[in-house]
Amino acid sequence: MKKAIFGLAIAATSLVSCGSQSNKSARNQDKGSDKQAVSQTGNGTAKTATVTDVKNTVSIKEIVNQYLIIKNGLANDNGQVAANGGKAFVKSIGKRDTKSFTAEQKKIWDDITPDAKEMAEHIGANPDKLEHQREHFEILSKDLYDLVKAFGGGQVLYKDFDPMYNGGKGAFWLSESKEIKNPYMGKAMFDSGSVKEEIKYP
Amino acid sequence: MSLSKKTLLAVALGFIVIQFIQPTRNNNDRILTTDISKIVSIPDSVQAILKNACYDCHSNNTAYPWYSNIQPTSWLMAKHIRKAKEMLNFSEFGNYSLRRRISKLDGISNSIKDNIMPISSYKLMHKNAQLSPNQMMLIINWALDSKDSLSGIK
Repeated sequence: MKKAIFGLAIAATSLVSCGSQSNKSARNQDKGSDKQAVSQTGNGTAKTATVTDVKNTVSIKEIVNQYLIIKNGLANDNGQVAANGGKAFVKSIGKRDTKSFTAEQKKIWDDITPDAKEMAEHIGANPDKLEHQREHFEILSKDLYDLVKAFGGGQVLYKDFDPMYNGGKGAFWLSESKEIKNPYMGKAMFDSGSVKEEIKYP
Repeated sequence: MSLSKKTLLAVALGFIVIQFIQPTRNNNDRILTTDISKIVSIPDSVQAILKNACYDCHSNNTAYPWYSNIQPTSWLMAKHIRKAKEMLNFSEFGNYSLRRRISKLDGISNSIKDNIMPISSYKLMHKNAQLSPNQMMLIINWALDSKDSLSGIK
């Protein structure tokens, strides 16, 4: 049983090509949909970013929108906005109709959403603790990226990377615009980071 | 008997009565196959800290202090332990999906780093749970290493 669960998790991870450091190779295997493109980053320097097409059209736009509210709240150092976004995120997950999902999508959904929900709950419960919210936001961002890859975000999204957060380990986030507004650093260093990937939709 | 005496008597009686209503104890010595020690490796130094500072609330086995026998303390404790185990249960760590195991380890490292855990009321009563900077580093590094090994990075 444990083996089966582990196998499933591995399968799901490689399917959606999770954004952790170890999965660069997995992403490269995502044949056909990846191509290199030049995109403009927030601080004006041209960098190479991957462009991915998400063909799937069962969009999770509402969930993505709540995530973006959290992200923008954190980028503006506004924990209350982020907290409200977190609460709304939890609600959106809860009411999403999963009947139209394929069996494969349902599996991915059941893997990711309990984790994402928990992260959003923490963000919702701590409007006065920005740093704590950001820690949960980092994990939430991984979850959301995997969800978007499996379902489609309902809009073009950018995967941005901040190399400094987490004591130099770095962390990424998803954004609705090419302009960098760093949710980990907030207003102090709002434009640090760069676009790593453009996720097209549909 | 004056009213205040009656009230006092009622409170005292109530106090005695609730002593007989004790919640089920969180005591399960058996190490389950889902225990975190079966999932990731835990050095003895780390295991000792987890046991002293975390397991009372975050496992299926609480080492109860004497005052836990006095009501309403045991209710409050039972409630607290139930909530804590909902967040993280080291005894049933194996029941989490791979994704959640990784997130939980991240959470452990973050809550130690940010001094969120162990909570101050617990530290007040448990000297062992007052972690030194060195002990904190041990837990943080262990959690992050375990996370990396689960993620397949190491």
